[in-house]
Amino acid sequence: MTLNFLIAPDFAPENFAGWHMLNTTLQRRSGIGLHLLTPATAREQNELVESGQADLIYANPFDAVSMIRTHGYIPFARPAHHYDEMVIATGAASEFSRVEDLKPGCRIALTENKDVRLIGLRLLEPADLTEASISWVPVDSYQAAARMAIKGEVDAAFFLASSHASFTRMTRSQLRVLVESAISNIYHVVLAHPRVAGDLPGISEALLGVQAQPGDGDALEALGLPGGFESMTQEDAEFMIDLMDTLLD
Amino acid sequence: MQLPDMDKPEAAAREVRLVYADGSARTVYVTETEEPFPEGRLIVSRTDLQGIITNANDAFVEMSGWAREDLIGAPQNILRHPDIPKVTFKGLWDDLAAGKKWHGYLKNLRKDGSFYWVYATAVPNVRNGQVVGYTSVRRKPSRTRIAEVIPVYAQLLAEENAAP
Repeated sequence: MTLNFLIAPDFAPENFAGWHMLNTTLQRRSGIGLHLLTPATAREQNELVESGQADLIYANPFDAVSMIRTHGYIPFARPAHHYDEMVIATGAASEFSRVEDLKPGCRIALTENKDVRLIGLRLLEPADLTEASISWVPVDSYQAAARMAIKGEVDAAFFLASSHASFTRMTRSQLRVLVESAISNIYHVVLAHPRVAGDLPGISEALLGVQAQPGDGDALEALGLPGGFESMTQEDAEFMIDLMDTLLD
Repeated sequence: MQLPDMDKPEAAAREVRLVYADGSARTVYVTETEEPFPEGRLIVSRTDLQGIITNANDAFVEMSGWAREDLIGAPQNILRHPDIPKVTFKGLWDDLAAGKKWHGYLKNLRKDGSFYWVYATAVPNVRNGQVVGYTSVRRKPSRTRIAEVIPVYAQLLAEENAAP
């Protein structure tokens, strides 16, 4: 039997090969067949989850809430020392130097990444900005958001911190960070559907062990998760969900 | 749990006797020094059903001025500043007891008598249908909103202090 392993669509394009390397490693070590599902959008991901096709999921923390509490997915691992943080930045030539300089009506570029949007909105509260008082500019990628901020076409842009950090030195020098989150409590999670609970010990052991053998470091570097994965409990996930609940409004 | 009285700071400070809902009391000394909210961070803690701190993140520890070992096992009201009226905390605990989320602006007391403002959200931790504790998350507040609540809290406090 082959299990479907769904990867949330918010990873950077340069990590695509890393997921295939990890998938190959997991299959070899667990003896369980895994088929990678890489939806391109949140909508595609939701269709796969709703139709019951995802046995394992590497989930965005925002989406993990309903996967765990509504669909009953079991959290069992998370990236080690790798949190979902975000950056609000403006063009280096802009007049803004801190979040409080942004005013109602300002234009902000963002991707469809929901946890970046959620955390970003909370970081804008000191500026008295709300979802309704911002003119949102949807973009397809963080690179597009950076281009618009640099050209002054938007007043600021939201970035996943790891994506911002992966920009070239030239791009980063043309952006000015207004604030970077340092929450350290919100992270992607690896989930298993209850129907595959019997396979979970083997999968979990293989995943948590990816850092011990020669070549593992290369796969993890390619994934952008150099610390590998660590185990997590249901309560760890419930704690993160409670925390995210406080950020919803 | 009875919190000890605060040590009187060397800086000019106002002495206040705080009486908590459980009848315990504590003398605190408050100064006019405000500690800025740490940029980009959240201040997170969890308590049990009695309001005893069971978990605190680094930002909570740093902003409180206390050592982590002093905080874990202490009542959450170790943060209570006398400028916040009791009715605010009653509303918080009433909402949590009813299973609801609570939001509000709070001025928190640090160990040395200084303070920091937060926008706080508290939620019940529901596990298998049972409330097993509470999570409180504080984020950087809007100064506009704080300017609005200061006179409201002062009025409520005056009414509480005038009550027989």
